[in-house]
Amino acid sequence: MTADLRLAWHLVRGSDRHEWWRIALTGVGALLASALALGAVVLGALRGHHPIPVADGLLDNPGERAGVVAALLLLLIPVLGFVGQSARLGAVHRDRRLAGLRLAGATPWQVRRIAAAETGLACLAGSAVATLACVVLMVRVGDHPSVWAWAGIAVVAVGVPVAGTLTGVLALRRVVASPLGTVRRARPRTRPGLMFFGAVALFLGALFVSYLSLDRRPGTVPTGPMLVVSGLALAGAAALWLVGATSRLTGRLLAARTGNPAVLIAAERLRDDPWAAARTHAAVLLVTVVGTGFVGVRQTLLEVLHSGKQVAEDLSFYTTGLDLTAAAIGVGLAITLAGLAVGTAESLATRRRTLAAQAAAGVPHAVLGRALLLETALPLAPGVLLAGLGGAAIGTGYASLTEGGGWSMPWAALLVPVAVYAASLLAAATALPLLRRSVRPAELRYA
Amino acid sequence: MNNAATGEPLLAARDLVKTHGRTSALRGASLDLRAGEILAVTGASGSGKSTLLHCLAGIVRPDRGSVTYDGQRLDRLPEKRLSELRRTDFGVVFQFGQLIPELTALDNVALPLMLAGTPRSRAHERAGEWLERFGVRGQEELRPGEMSGGQAQRTALARALVTDPKVVFADEPTGALDSLAGEQVMTALAHTARESGTAVLLITHDARTAAYADREASLHDGTVVAEDAALEVTR
Ligand SMILES: Nc1ncnc2c1ncn2[C@@H]1O[C@H](COP(=O)(O)OP(=O)(O)OP(=O)(O)O)[C@@H](O)[C@H]1O
Ligand SMILES: [Mg+2]
Repeated sequence: MTADLRLAWHLVRGSDRHEWWRIALTGVGALLASALALGAVVLGALRGHHPIPVADGLLDNPGERAGVVAALLLLLIPVLGFVGQSARLGAVHRDRRLAGLRLAGATPWQVRRIAAAETGLACLAGSAVATLACVVLMVRVGDHPSVWAWAGIAVVAVGVPVAGTLTGVLALRRVVASPLGTVRRARPRTRPGLMFFGAVALFLGALFVSYLSLDRRPGTVPTGPMLVVSGLALAGAAALWLVGATSRLTGRLLAARTGNPAVLIAAERLRDDPWAAARTHAAVLLVTVVGTGFVGVRQTLLEVLHSGKQVAEDLSFYTTGLDLTAAAIGVGLAITLAGLAVGTAESLATRRRTLAAQAAAGVPHAVLGRALLLETALPLAPGVLLAGLGGAAIGTGYASLTEGGGWSMPWAALLVPVAVYAASLLAAATALPLLRRSVRPAELRYA
Repeated sequence: MNNAATGEPLLAARDLVKTHGRTSALRGASLDLRAGEILAVTGASGSGKSTLLHCLAGIVRPDRGSVTYDGQRLDRLPEKRLSELRRTDFGVVFQFGQLIPELTALDNVALPLMLAGTPRSRAHERAGEWLERFGVRGQEELRPGEMSGGQAQRTALARALVTDPKVVFADEPTGALDSLAGEQVMTALAHTARESGTAVLLITHDARTAAYADREASLHDGTVVAEDAALEVTR
């Protein structure tokens, strides 16, 4: 085991900066995931009315607390997507080296342990930091957490690194299966989209079960959250399918017709592997639906609140709730965009040899950069448009349900998809400086 | 182009020096390439052959020394001009990996023409002709991952030559091939280069491949130690 660890260390140390990026980003993702899960666990472990000195009393009662816990758990989805994306950053080159190790006679288990050590240790570091911060915070606040809270914290602290290790091992299965591994990539591959969808469905199921088990009177079945969760699951599946399908279709249509080299390269890449970007793009679409819908709902709700009708709590209770939801959506968007940026960087890192050869042959950087951006821009456009319309429909529907609301269209909501699309392109563009490094002639020296 | 008439080299390197960290890849290498000639550069592994090719093709800037192409100092041209020159006047072939994996053979060969603004249908026509010349007709729709090594290299040659370049730079183009496939690639390259008057800088450590050249220069520890014109006489 120590020999494997040492080998893993040497592999990382002897490699270029991509490896460090992968490890650092994986660690950051694990930290975020642990923080969200810890927040959910600590809040979820509270029983009954429990005054909490933040957020205008929003966390005092079990009902609202359950909502916040659900939101925290939902935020885990983009974070897990981000971790998955980070763990793959530059992994093609690592896989190749590991395949080389297999060729040199390493056993499948040795290779697995090496890969698992790397991802697992990165996740361990991230979750350790988050757990430590959480424990310190709880001790400082001086609240006496229940046994349940401590148990939950322990589960998260151990669970995140274990999950990370398992993912690292699972992602490797092809290298392990054959020493030639990814060295020679044959074309048709399994759909990573299906696996991801399965994982999301499982996760949502688990989330729902844990939600039901939260503090609540027995015998009542909460239909609201059930609707929200199954609606989100459906929307997520639809988004994933939509991205894959539109990627393939735009790829096929454009590849057959375009005379523009950048469009041709982007289109052929989309056609070749339409599911490559599906994970991050699906998250973008989900955020668009939720964000657009939220802006519409918020507008209606504020109108109702300000119309002076009597409400159960004071105004700040509701506005804080709205602000917190907006913040959660904002965080979700930020994480999604970070995942998108990392994904774009990954697609560059994977292809540096080919890109360097293109640059050597005189293909202008601008063409390569444009092709890279188009890979994000082309498949995302129809998806974001549909997601925006869906979100607007939610907002309008909600407005029509409120008394006297009528069919007022929340126009501000329509700005959300536009903003998300622009932000996505900007996020993808952050990888462009990496293009310059990827096409250095030195890259021609590597296979 | 009247370089051949005046006897002036098309491409001339003088006293090139290039260091990578602590290793000196080139220590004062000089070399001439005349229009239309095939020049083989040989030498031990690590002697600086690839680095020399990269400097001559304007892919890498030398630390010292000059590279003159058709009256222009390549070592002083801005990157944008160099890139343009590589697109229009030069063609490059490496040992492997220069084709875009997602594009078909036809699109890979058509790409340089499309970059120059040729409409795609016209570019496809020309690309088809070049693929035929290199004997890979019927494989236009294959992608690099689906081709044999020899087919991929001949496709790469077609891509390098489709723009009618003045110089083709080939860094061990047969290095990853068996002797039969290597011979096919070299015959195709030598034949078309002679036909179209394209100069070829051919890097190889294989004597049989070097035999296709008009002239041979050998590199040792980053300097050119011998230029052998005997081949030219016997041809
Ligand atoms: N980007 C680089 N970074 C570090 N060292 C380099 C780099 N490029 C070349 N070198 C070093 O420069 C020397 C010459 O390299 P070069 O690739 O030109 O040799 P070569 O003659 O082409 O060898 P081969 O026949 O093995 O391809 C070698 O010692 C190599 O290690
Ligand atoms: Mg070399």
